[in-house]
Amino acid sequence: MIRRSLASVAKGAVGPADNDSRYLLDPHRRGVPNVGRMARYADGDLVDLAIVGAGAGGATLAQRLARKGWRVVVLESGPFWDPDRDWVSDEAGAHPIYWTAPRVIGGDDPVELGKNNSGHGVGGSMVHFAGYAPRLHPSDFAVRSRDGVAADWPITYDELRPHYARVEAELPVSGQDWPWGDPHRYTYAAHPISAGAARAKDGARAAGIEMRVGPVAIPSAAFGNRPHCIYRGFCLQGCKVNAKASPLVTHVPDAIEHGAEIRADAHVARVEIDARGRCTGVTYHHGGRERFQRAAAVAIAGYAIETPRLLLNSTSARFPHGLANDHDQVGRYVMVQGAPQVAGRFPELLHMYKAPPPEISSEQFYETDPGRGFARGFSIQTVGPQPIAWAEHVLADGHWGPALREYMRDMNHWFTLGALSELLPVPDNRVTLADETDSHGLRVARMDYTQCDNDRANIAAAKATLHGIWDAADAQDVLTIDRYAHLVGGCRMGARPEESVVDHTHRAWGVPNLYVADGSVMPTQGAANPALTIMALASRLAGLLARKQA
Amino acid sequence: MEGHFRSAGHLPKQREDGRPASPRDDLPRQRRGSTPQDHGRYPDYDVLEEARHWDPVTRSTVVSRLQAPPLRFLAPEQARTLSMFCDDVLAQDDEPRVPVLAMVDERLHERRFDGYRYADMPEDDETWVRVARGLDEVAGGDYAALGEQERIAIITAFAAGELSGGVWDELPPSRAWSVVMRYVLAAFYAHPWAWNEIGFGGPRYPRGYMRLQPDAVEPGAGAVEAFSRDPVRDTADAGPR
Repeated sequence: MIRRSLASVAKGAVGPADNDSRYLLDPHRRGVPNVGRMARYADGDLVDLAIVGAGAGGATLAQRLARKGWRVVVLESGPFWDPDRDWVSDEAGAHPIYWTAPRVIGGDDPVELGKNNSGHGVGGSMVHFAGYAPRLHPSDFAVRSRDGVAADWPITYDELRPHYARVEAELPVSGQDWPWGDPHRYTYAAHPISAGAARAKDGARAAGIEMRVGPVAIPSAAFGNRPHCIYRGFCLQGCKVNAKASPLVTHVPDAIEHGAEIRADAHVARVEIDARGRCTGVTYHHGGRERFQRAAAVAIAGYAIETPRLLLNSTSARFPHGLANDHDQVGRYVMVQGAPQVAGRFPELLHMYKAPPPEISSEQFYETDPGRGFARGFSIQTVGPQPIAWAEHVLADGHWGPALREYMRDMNHWFTLGALSELLPVPDNRVTLADETDSHGLRVARMDYTQCDNDRANIAAAKATLHGIWDAADAQDVLTIDRYAHLVGGCRMGARPEESVVDHTHRAWGVPNLYVADGSVMPTQGAANPALTIMALASRLAGLLARKQA
Repeated sequence: MEGHFRSAGHLPKQREDGRPASPRDDLPRQRRGSTPQDHGRYPDYDVLEEARHWDPVTRSTVVSRLQAPPLRFLAPEQARTLSMFCDDVLAQDDEPRVPVLAMVDERLHERRFDGYRYADMPEDDETWVRVARGLDEVAGGDYAALGEQERIAIITAFAAGELSGGVWDELPPSRAWSVVMRYVLAAFYAHPWAWNEIGFGGPRYPRGYMRLQPDAVEPGAGAVEAFSRDPVRDTADAGPR
């Protein structure tokens, strides 16, 4: 109780005690300033941990362990971004921040990748994530026990709770007091909302649905040297302001300050093992050459497609079907969320491209409701498409030619709501290797995805709810698009090696010094955007590793 | 329509025939800057007047789109077919036109793909080549030589995934439609002329926005809707239509 009241008095002033990233940034330029004095390890140095991928999982793990004195190298396939120099405030121009190397998609309901869910470079997918930072609900960790579908996690919500709170303070997250799941507060107050979000909120209220402002990983007041949001609306194109959180601004500066090396443009090709089946380091491509970094342990944080791909490409006599793949589990149970969007039209100009897309959300339908006839649920959120995304939305509703142009000319009168439907993990929704190879000669990933009946029922209910909100708001017209969002699973954690890839400590079954530190370990995904959970998991893993070494 | 945009009567789904009114008859001509075909829903708005306030990296990216790149990937006869197709699906029936196919061709030449390929589809550059061939096939030889009604009928079938025979037996039409339209829309709505037409604020960095309320007009981004055609300037002999 005392902690709670202190937090509410100190709103807008509480910063994390053990992460100085916000002060290590420069208020007048966006690039990470301390990169010039970053530690550099030689390939032959036996570092304590080699981390593959500098996104939500890898960067958080590196920052935590660097603070504990570990010698850490993070190998990132993409560039070390300088937002001033490398990013543009433009939709089409954001192409380089997405993972656009070749991949193949299949199944009955293929998932479009690239800008929809796949990042590239230091900061990972959070560079282009909208900014929503909700927690999972406690029920997410026991879906099998409660609903008889999907899987239980080998850990509980309580084990993640302190890490959620810690990461929320580091990003930081702004929002109203949160009533759903495990009720909690945010240290930063809610942002102002746009005219369109206010329309949506009114419509939701009339339909009996509560929406709250946030939770969004953009501070609503001063936060070290990070400037205030300018409500430009280009969150999905990379924040040139340094206002929106991504590991590039929230964890990388502090990691570097404590001795971690972030080695960009270093594409890891294989994790190597010795005769005893222990990792010895990673083989990677850098500067046109193949190199090898020695490491006492390896943590893979390449996300739900590249992590399984790396394991599957790391074959050996001991692991002929891919590292840690004795039970054919690597790449299975990959998940996306159903993310239909419905736009509503109003008399006044709403300019939906203004302000960050994440404004208000509801988790009122998150949990299983037996009356709905399917397991689990969905959340509702605002989205603020820029012109190209809006054109894709209009096209998806069936309009091209003169009709497309007319709906596009009408853009300023529209506002868009989206849902996130929890789709269930299915073994045949999986990442495998395609026959074609990338520019390094490595086999590329193929991702197959097919919805199950529960998924279809969930998405249909979510869509109907969005239509209900716009009906209640007296929208003059509506336009609908079916799509997916986010990616998790593919190397899930579990209690037994026959049904998972890593154990409850993220350690790969069968390889004692190999860890997976990203969203691919998630056995279920809830109806929450995954970024905060991925960071909280990495934060917890860092605590386990540090304790083990001590 | 009379430009009463508070009502939604001009929107296709709200009209009995499901089709929009002709913008040429109902909208004023663009008075500042350019829009595709000069339709002026925001006739006095030119996003490029803001360009001097954009950060230099963004400015150079956006302004460079005003120069159509030369064709480097597609062969001239493929380009002729596909150029007509792009203009048809975007209703670009008059000058000035956004050079959509040239912008697409540049991406194909540079192999700037989107990071995924459907398992039952070829790579995106090959998809474009086959779509050109497929359109010419269903047109009986030359898509671009058909009349407008016949071309629209072909596109209607393409959008519905109902093309078959020849190329289309190997190339699933609904997948192909989604691939080519993704490129078409990304090119057209990246062009500042299209932003003028829809009253989009453009990059807005580093200035940002300060007014989130309804009907807000930002300082320096005064996209104000037209209310009717201008009886003085929007006459038949008052310049290009």
